[in-house]
Amino acid sequence: MHSPLAGDQAAPGGAATISRGKPFARGEGDRSARARIVLVILAILLAATAIFSLASGASDASVLSIVQDWFIPAGGVLSERDHLIIMEIRLPRMLLGALAGAALAVSGAVMQGLFRNPLADPGIIGISAGASLGAALMIVLGATALAPLSALFGIYALPLAAFLGGLAITALLYRISTRGGRTSIATMLLAGIAIAAMALAFTGLLIYLANDQQLRDLSFWMLGSLAGATWTKLWAVAPIMVPALLSSPFLARALNAFSLGEASAAHLGVPVQFFKVLAIIIVSAATGASVAVSGAIGFVGIVCPHLLRLLIGPDHRYLLPASALLGATLLLLADAASRTLVAPAELPIGILTAAVGGPFFLWILLRRRGVIDL
Amino acid sequence: MIETTNISVTLGRREILSSITMIARPGDVTVIVGPNGSGKTTLMKTLSGDLPYRGRITLNGVSLSSMKPWRMAALRAVLPQSTALAFPFTVHEIVRLGLTNGRSGALADAVANLPERALARVDLADFGGRLYQELSGGEQQRVQLARVLCQVWSPVLEGEPRYLFLDEPVSSLDVKHQVLIMNVARDYARRGGGVIAVLHDLNLAALFADRILMMHKGRIAVSGTVAEVLTETTLANIFDCRLMVGRAQSGIPFVLPQSAA
Repeated sequence: MHSPLAGDQAAPGGAATISRGKPFARGEGDRSARARIVLVILAILLAATAIFSLASGASDASVLSIVQDWFIPAGGVLSERDHLIIMEIRLPRMLLGALAGAALAVSGAVMQGLFRNPLADPGIIGISAGASLGAALMIVLGATALAPLSALFGIYALPLAAFLGGLAITALLYRISTRGGRTSIATMLLAGIAIAAMALAFTGLLIYLANDQQLRDLSFWMLGSLAGATWTKLWAVAPIMVPALLSSPFLARALNAFSLGEASAAHLGVPVQFFKVLAIIIVSAATGASVAVSGAIGFVGIVCPHLLRLLIGPDHRYLLPASALLGATLLLLADAASRTLVAPAELPIGILTAAVGGPFFLWILLRRRGVIDL
Repeated sequence: MIETTNISVTLGRREILSSITMIARPGDVTVIVGPNGSGKTTLMKTLSGDLPYRGRITLNGVSLSSMKPWRMAALRAVLPQSTALAFPFTVHEIVRLGLTNGRSGALADAVANLPERALARVDLADFGGRLYQELSGGEQQRVQLARVLCQVWSPVLEGEPRYLFLDEPVSSLDVKHQVLIMNVARDYARRGGGVIAVLHDLNLAALFADRILMMHKGRIAVSGTVAEVLTETTLANIFDCRLMVGRAQSGIPFVLPQSAA
């Protein structure tokens, strides 16, 4: 033997002789406890925002009166008209907004984990562009070439077309970037940019062909809005979004392992290809459904996960649920603002999220490059 | 035991590995050496299950191609040359990833602080709370080794020996930590596990290897004990430069480069 150093490793299962007699302080660098507290705070915040969102708008029902109306059996605190407004207009809108916000933020967090890039977003692989193309097809050609479809599906025709557009693009990308059973994430990213550009070109062509009314509908849809949310719309997308959101936690451990790179994730025993496919399905379903009902709402998917990583770290076991809660809260706040800023008219919510999200995104970029230090 | 029979690997149109037949035994530190581009890292990747290959590889008698990822992960852990992260994980969070497969082999009450133990083992006892991205290259490499140790903590699990695959484990370390890490590897082997390591430093190979595989142009040119492989003639042929092989007082060979001319 020619080593003075060997043999100080605690024999597993045996007496743990610890080098230098140092006690192993557990949990230094373990942010789980903090993450759990943040989750609870975010849940409370979301509940408060949800109630506040029900109370804000052109009709002036107070938070208190809404709560009383729900929990006092005889009711009667609210006028019939306010009760109707809250139950039939604001409640479905609030639920839809919360679902869409959660879906966008979770999709962003999953994409960023999958691509190992904090600036990735469902928009980057063309899902949103595909959904927009689907919607544009339905708006512009709905009365002519696609008339049978719009007659068959009625008010569902537009969200359905958007959803299918997003899904079709994702399926195409998956085909392109998968060789011999392995999906190349880098190819997917590059091909996604190319395909998004093509989808945008087709959408541009449709815009060129559109008449004035269609043009108005198109641009309004592309700005993103929760206006026109109804229970029927909610029931149309909830069966897609809720399962996608509920299954996202199953990705957490795999996404954590992916942080080390695909090869190392596989070495840790993670079935890499299975989780890639699962992640892509979850994201395209959640994003497609959310874009279908609320249009293209940008930046929620980048801002929420990034803020949360600063707060609780990148562990996806906490990051994914926290993103869902924060995404829902932010979208409800943005929606409340869009309804009240120019009341009784409404701003498209996409304008607000982009106006706030754009500068935030820039701040992330500049801070990373050390240009500004905030 | 890890056994390969006549394996070949082709990337694009180039054959990177040609008919490699080798054995790595539990209890041994098997060191792979060779010039740049001789196929050392490709061989490690193939043994790790990353690359398609022709021929046969078995881990403890079971064919690698029929093994599920989680089964492989229970038998061997792989240390990559370097790992960059996109997100600000703490050192603790990275080392804890070694427990993903849940087969560390440590007793239930020991698993809880296994990351701290593994960190102490690589001389990073107080680093758990630091951000990985803010560490030096050598410290990052030791963090990754701690993660790898967590994955296969006990060298033998349910009677089966387990393996550490180390691709240039000491390439960015100072001399003290080079020796420390190689001792961790040898200790793992002494307790019944197996270690396969790619090394550039022939002197470290001489100090710590039980067997050396010397690769050249995608083949194993020479294999055997340190004394058998590290000879002036062999080294001159394979590395294409003049090296002097001497002996330390302990009898272990050392290698010194001579002037190129």
